[in-house]
Amino acid sequence: MLDVSTISSTIVSGVLLGGILALTALGLSIVLGVMRLVNLAHGDFLVVGAYAGLFFLQFTGIDPLLGVPAVAVFVGLLALPVYRLLLAPLANRGAEAQMMTMFAVSIILENAFVLAFSADTRSIARDYATVPLTLGPVTFPLIYLIGFVISVSLILAVHWLVSATAFGRDLRASAVDAEAAATLGVDVKRVQMLTFALGAACAGVGGTLIGAAFQFSPSSGAAYLLNSLAVVVLGGLGSVIGTLVGGIALGTLQSIGGLALGDGYRDLVGMAVFLLVLAFRPDGFLARGRT
Amino acid sequence: MSEAVASCPHRFRAPGAGLVEVAVLVGALAVLWFAPDFAGDYWLQLGFRTFIFIALAQGWNLMAGSAGLVSLGTSCFVGLGAYVTFGLLNRLSLPLPLALLICAIAGGALAALVSPALFRLRGLYFTVGTLALAELLRLLMVIVSAFGGASGIFLQEDPPALPVLFRYALVVALIASLAMTLCARTRISVILRAVRDDEDAAAQMGVRPYRVKLGAFVLASALAAMAGGIQAVKLGAIEPYGMFGLQWSIDVLSMVIIGGVGMRLGPVVGALFAVALGEMLADYPELHIAITGAILIVLIRFAPHGVVGLGAKLPLTRRMPA
Amino acid sequence: MKRHIRTSLAAALTASMLGLGLSAAAADDIVIGASLPLSGPLAGFGSFQQWGYKRAVEEVNKAGGIAIDGNKRQVKLIIRDDKTDPNATASNTETLISRDRVVAMLGSCTPALVNAGALVSDRAKKPMVTGCDPLEAFKSVRRWSYVWDIFFHEPELAAAQFKAMAELGAETNKKVAIWHDNGPDGQVVGGKIWPALAKEFGYEVVQNAEFPIDNSQFTSIIGEAKSKGAEVVLVDAITPQAIAIRKQMASAGYTPKVLNIEKGAEPVQFAEALGKLSDGILVGGYWDPTFPYPGAADLAKAFESETKLSSSQHIADSYAAAQVLLDAIAAAGSTDPEKINAAIAKTDKSYVVGPVKFDENHTAKLPIVSLQWQGGKGVIIWPKAAKTGDFLFPLR
Repeated sequence: MLDVSTISSTIVSGVLLGGILALTALGLSIVLGVMRLVNLAHGDFLVVGAYAGLFFLQFTGIDPLLGVPAVAVFVGLLALPVYRLLLAPLANRGAEAQMMTMFAVSIILENAFVLAFSADTRSIARDYATVPLTLGPVTFPLIYLIGFVISVSLILAVHWLVSATAFGRDLRASAVDAEAAATLGVDVKRVQMLTFALGAACAGVGGTLIGAAFQFSPSSGAAYLLNSLAVVVLGGLGSVIGTLVGGIALGTLQSIGGLALGDGYRDLVGMAVFLLVLAFRPDGFLARGRT
Repeated sequence: MSEAVASCPHRFRAPGAGLVEVAVLVGALAVLWFAPDFAGDYWLQLGFRTFIFIALAQGWNLMAGSAGLVSLGTSCFVGLGAYVTFGLLNRLSLPLPLALLICAIAGGALAALVSPALFRLRGLYFTVGTLALAELLRLLMVIVSAFGGASGIFLQEDPPALPVLFRYALVVALIASLAMTLCARTRISVILRAVRDDEDAAAQMGVRPYRVKLGAFVLASALAAMAGGIQAVKLGAIEPYGMFGLQWSIDVLSMVIIGGVGMRLGPVVGALFAVALGEMLADYPELHIAITGAILIVLIRFAPHGVVGLGAKLPLTRRMPA
Repeated sequence: MKRHIRTSLAAALTASMLGLGLSAAAADDIVIGASLPLSGPLAGFGSFQQWGYKRAVEEVNKAGGIAIDGNKRQVKLIIRDDKTDPNATASNTETLISRDRVVAMLGSCTPALVNAGALVSDRAKKPMVTGCDPLEAFKSVRRWSYVWDIFFHEPELAAAQFKAMAELGAETNKKVAIWHDNGPDGQVVGGKIWPALAKEFGYEVVQNAEFPIDNSQFTSIIGEAKSKGAEVVLVDAITPQAIAIRKQMASAGYTPKVLNIEKGAEPVQFAEALGKLSDGILVGGYWDPTFPYPGAADLAKAFESETKLSSSQHIADSYAAAQVLLDAIAAAGSTDPEKINAAIAKTDKSYVVGPVKFDENHTAKLPIVSLQWQGGKGVIIWPKAAKTGDFLFPLR
């Protein structure tokens, strides 16, 4: 069973899957970094993206992966009123109030999904989503590679946005010290709103990828939230590249864990790693300070 | 909880205030003890549920409101209590009070075991850490078949009748409330608030924050384990999704927020509210989750001190907007 | 002091809300109750059951109700959502019995939830008729006095595919991989019954893997089966996992000749989520509109025209369970729980699911057929007498 082909395939699959995990966690990471908010509805934003991708395909016939920009814009737009109406008024109240509000949003979203779409498990069924790709001794699902490419591209784009644009500069300033940034003329509220929308958009795209590669249902959000938290902690808060590395690390560790102990232990390995990192290096392996 | 909870002005009255509270609690115990002789099954069941919630909520309120530790890990200890109780009852045929006592010790022991790791984390990290711990434990319970795996385990003997269970739950809730009286009416409350508001400053003043937080965590966990134990006995059959599920953590957190975090009566009001709301909305199954979420959002925004805080606002004394 | 007055006012308000919550049933109604998973992961099952229960009650009411001590009375069905949480099933059942004063109960779905409600009902000595709980899992809890189960028997379900393969002449290398979840029926079917049957039918079990009910990744399990060359794969998992397994098998390039997915592959959402990938998958079924039982075809038609959704076998099981209960109440002519219970014990009639007669363990077995997904429709391929289509072999 444990021949070179199996091991190398497992590791490559883990790396590719990790890239996708990184994208799903990216939104959580930047929101946490800039707004100090653990968005407990993050997993549900992912699911919104998955449904959006599914219905985009059903109504337009266009492949959801080509429609990824549309999904991103759609989910991002949805996030704006959430910020404006629910989060902005609580900005001075401390982290718990906003976190609990997002938690309430999460349970409302789940209920809304069931009411609107029924509790059925769905999947975006595309032919290319379920074929293997073999390169030498290594075999892995093609969709993992496609997802990896899309994820890394998006992550790099966000990284460029954060490090090389004026908005990114404002974002980083708000993350380090919101009050100081405000005195320097940064419209912190606007930055936070746009960051929240960006985070939601990334989650939406991640959700579409998940929907194509795997499956989802109204209650899938919670599991993805936990995975995303693990990635964020592994890679360091607010660090975009750190999230990518964290995702790949988690994906690989989970795959190796699954190979060594059995598939049932993948999630357990993920949680155990999460707790270990949280206990010993809560700022993440790559943290040198915050980005 | 930092700015989200303005410190309640616990004016220190004469030491008699604490004794009055104890007297009230003991009086409530005496009255409610005889409730099974008058009340129908329906009210006993509601009472049972309320007492379980009160026990859980008091502990959570102590951690969050007084010590600044927002926990999403209640389900760990509820589940632990459930499985430990069943193990003791099934394998060793211990009497129920002894089993519940051992439960409490087990809950406290688990809390003490994980606290070195958990307390390295401050604020949001702590919350996330408790969530991860709860999920880890649930996954373990599902995978390890020695504990019944996903099929769970059954209580071999029939559980005691409802009036007996009602009284057990009443006692557990009473213990929880008495413990809170102890914390609120003695020096302990000052120490707790000092640690909550500024841990480092408190340390400078000679308070040992680690010990204080540990104490709150252990106490809350012991109470949660007892509550889990008695709930399990009532159910007669337990499995990981029901006893280690996140809904425990979520329900407790919601009810204390609704009642009022850091408020002395927050847990009780929150528990009553949660049970009442559950009963009212049970006839409208499609909407009850959404309505609970909406109520949470509205309360967080407009009544950060919960229902109890609203009650305190009604007379002329107004607070400055937080 | 004022603060305390205000808070006691708040408490009084709360208590009065409680009072408002008490719903009034007409004094003459016969009240029966059910706790169902209408939200949470099992909401799919719950909605079918709700339809089945409601329809049975509506039909009886339209026909004038049930005669109790000579007077015809209407039946009131109260349904509560247990959110797929056994704690909630138990407390819902308690409330239905103590507050709403139901005379009998109808069950929830899946062993964990059914057990929680059944234990309450049995102890309170209120009769309960349930479906959606495999019989061995039902029997393993205790000797029931007031609870009755109408569903399939796991050993028969497990044997169905072996028998089907033998009778239909499916040529394989007789190497079997068994993948099952660690829930009560998964462990029974996958852990014990299938391996034993495999031996009996001359198959070699090259792999037997267990995974948690809500597992998401199956790469190692699939990889092992593929490397051992199993041409027959038997799976017992719930729908989200069933979908995941099929997709990941395709992504891994593993296509056995026969793929049987119990439980999870049954509902239409499985075929809808997978599209073409669902073709050829076998699943055991206990009901189909084509069955030659009274009202079977009409039931499916009514469901589809009312809800515009594809029908599921769960509408039949729940509909029959409710009918059994209502018939027993009518036979007893009384709302006394003991009399109703005795009447249920005497049930011996054909319903949409077939003949229902309870044995000494309070179980009634439903017949099993083997279904195969073909183009998004479930086609019965075995036994020959019930066939509605041809067996597609091998899996493509």
